[in-house]
Amino acid sequence: MTAGASRSRFREDETRRDSDHVSFLRHKRFRWAWAALALSLAAAAGYALIDQDPRPNGGSWYGYTLGTIGLGLILWLSLLGVRKRRINPGAWSLKAWTSAHVYLGLSLVVVGTLHTGFQIGWNVHSLAYVLMLLVIATGVYGVVAYTTLPARLSDNRREMTRAQMLDALTAIDRQLDGAAQPLARGEADLVLAALRQSPFAGGALARLTGRYPACQTARALAGMDTASEAQQRVRALLEKRAAQLAQIRGALRIQAALEVWLFLHITLTIALIAALSAHVISVFYYW
Amino acid sequence: MTFLIRTIDITASGREIRRERLSEGLGLTVGRAAENDIHLPDLAVEQRHIGITLSKVGTLDIAALGTLGFGLDGRVVTQAAIDPATGGEIALGSARLAVIREGDAIAITISQIAADEGRGDVLRGFALASVLPSKRAMSWTFAGAILLVLLMLPVASHLLRTPARPDPTGRTPGVVLMDSAWSSGELSLKHQSLTENCESCHVAAFESVQDETCLSCHKDIGDHAPMGRLAKGSPALSPGDAIQWKIGQTLGKEGPLGCVACHSEHEGPVRAAAGNAAFCSDCHKDMNLRLTDTAIANAHDFGKGHPEFRPLYYASFGAAKPVRAAPGTKPVERSGLKFPHDVHMNKAGGAARMAVSLKQYGKPLECADCHVLAPDRISFREVKMEDACEGCHSLVSGRITGGGFSKLRHGDLKQLAADLAKVSAAPRPSLAPQRQRPGQLGSTAPSYRADFGRPVRAYIGISNALSAGGVCTECHLPTTGPSGQADLVPVNLPDRFLASGYFNHEAHKKQECSDCHAAGTSKAASDLLMPDLKSCRQCHLGAGATKTAKIVPSDCAMCHAYHLPAGQWQGLGQHKGPAPHYRPAPLAAATAAPARVAKVRN
Repeated sequence: MTAGASRSRFREDETRRDSDHVSFLRHKRFRWAWAALALSLAAAAGYALIDQDPRPNGGSWYGYTLGTIGLGLILWLSLLGVRKRRINPGAWSLKAWTSAHVYLGLSLVVVGTLHTGFQIGWNVHSLAYVLMLLVIATGVYGVVAYTTLPARLSDNRREMTRAQMLDALTAIDRQLDGAAQPLARGEADLVLAALRQSPFAGGALARLTGRYPACQTARALAGMDTASEAQQRVRALLEKRAAQLAQIRGALRIQAALEVWLFLHITLTIALIAALSAHVISVFYYW
Repeated sequence: MTFLIRTIDITASGREIRRERLSEGLGLTVGRAAENDIHLPDLAVEQRHIGITLSKVGTLDIAALGTLGFGLDGRVVTQAAIDPATGGEIALGSARLAVIREGDAIAITISQIAADEGRGDVLRGFALASVLPSKRAMSWTFAGAILLVLLMLPVASHLLRTPARPDPTGRTPGVVLMDSAWSSGELSLKHQSLTENCESCHVAAFESVQDETCLSCHKDIGDHAPMGRLAKGSPALSPGDAIQWKIGQTLGKEGPLGCVACHSEHEGPVRAAAGNAAFCSDCHKDMNLRLTDTAIANAHDFGKGHPEFRPLYYASFGAAKPVRAAPGTKPVERSGLKFPHDVHMNKAGGAARMAVSLKQYGKPLECADCHVLAPDRISFREVKMEDACEGCHSLVSGRITGGGFSKLRHGDLKQLAADLAKVSAAPRPSLAPQRQRPGQLGSTAPSYRADFGRPVRAYIGISNALSAGGVCTECHLPTTGPSGQADLVPVNLPDRFLASGYFNHEAHKKQECSDCHAAGTSKAASDLLMPDLKSCRQCHLGAGATKTAKIVPSDCAMCHAYHLPAGQWQGLGQHKGPAPHYRPAPLAAATAAPARVAKVRN
């Protein structure tokens, strides 16, 4: 291998290594952030300088221009879901695509708002606008969540994998089952209910808020006497179970916070595309 | 210390086998090697894996003897303590050692678990997706609901409806469902009645609102100019607008001169504003450059760029049509009347004195005694001889037997001749009870006395009345008819002098009439007493002028309307009767709207 080829290879590798460790937000020195900023400023400058009679709205030529840009952007942004399922290298790397997705998505706030001409009402047009804003808001939340929450998730694990958390619970449950044998019917039922309740019981709301009002372990703890040795033993095990559940639920809560935005982001995006279709078709249907 | 070691095995047939043995000592070792106290034949377990010893405080200390840790209550550790009262579970390979005190002994129950049973599935429970409907299902639900309610429902009900005529009264409800969600804003105040009936304007699918539809209600609207002239007179559109209109017109929009190009709807519950000065001056500032043959002078600002008024007047006696005054000239009006305004308006003159003596006036004559404002507040009612003049210029011809007076009829020479003949045919009763002197007719009062001619000259009376010095020629000009008979010049006065704009007299009632109309000094009816531009500009300057106590910034719309340049738009249905005087006759209202549109376009 010649020295030149080696140097070139080195440079290539360095570039790749650098790019591998640069977040999609900082990709290519904020290339897409600058592009989005330029688009927003150009749109705002046009809005301020071009006189629309009698007042700016989506039906002026400038309004149509902004609307077309906005529609094109929305459709392209929604294709990220398609792009990320296609593994292909090159200039259009997924990271570049994601970077552009985030920044151009943000610029839609400006383009979309100027397209409305600040006319908002109870109609399909404003529905599309509001959905767009919600999609952008969930996207912003998603970026923030992906930057901050994984660290918290890691803290919560305390060197246990999720499987180990469940194993620990199973181990406690097996002991509880044995320890509860001497208990009377009423208390045995409490323990049984706690054992039968899945650690994942509780809806999305319980996961997001961390409140489990129907928690059977908590109920069993509240109803468990400490008179006999067996009761004390069960109580101690129930406390262990509650602590283990709290860790699992902590993981559930952080994971829910980490994942919920995508549910909203995707669902609202599809709803937005539907509302956009209704918006565009209705505008020209009742031209 | 006694350890109770209990082994639970499950046979292939599912039967549970329990074996129990006791082990005395301070501790135990657990491992794969046979010499351990508890022997676990599992490759995942080390030869000597853990040691269990009873500490002094009564807990069981568990320590890994090799390098591999062990599971305690699910966690992997290398050293731990178990309180025998609470117990604990040690995991070694697939074996689970449940440690708990039973009586005095410490029981260690060994059981085997099936390794990693469905763990992958269990871990899915951590994902939020396990408690939410799938993204796909939620997306389809929301998108489907939006498309169904906000798109398919209106479109289907629009396509399936029976089209009805537009109803500006708003009594016909719209039949298209959910199309109110399509409205981009409230309708203007005058169109509020159409709010629930979108399809009254949006008639066909994917067709912009057509002029024809507007004209189906606004039948009387005037056209500013023929479409071709408008297009030629308009300045070039901005590149953006030009492209938009080009695309729009290709797709069936009416174009920049269509109704909706100016009358933009859904702009909120406001009154459609009159076009501002810029709207007018866009075309009129330099219209002569585009419409080279136009008779209309350029205008852009009342204070700075407005042509001199060109009032309408009759330039010759008995002319068929009035003409517009040439700019800067002093027109001589040939109305056919003799009427010196100064005589009538002189507060100390004979006319004033006579008015004071008459009950109907009681004071010197005022302008309003003859000139009464018409309901449009712009023009004045026609001055009628019987109402305005006859109080003084009496045509009483005698006393009638039943009481009261007979008088000559005004306005028709044949009737006048007949009345004069009657006067001569019968002996006339005396007009007043006073004693008469020979040759004297009428009362001796200082009031006006008409000379009808002597009774003996009855048959030539008409000739006398019409000739110079006769009763008619006090106000009228004598002439001869086609066959040489005596006649009067017909009276010709336009109803409106300024026909391309309107002047609201009501708004100026704080002013004296003579502030603008120099009637007090006018000695002859041939004076055209219309004020000039300069006198208006004493108060009115262009829209850009600063408002002061004296200066009124005035945009074009203060005096000019777009559709009816000579009159203010009175609203739908209120504009009745013919168009303002001396404008080209409007196209027949009965003509179908499409035909009208076509006609205007050509």
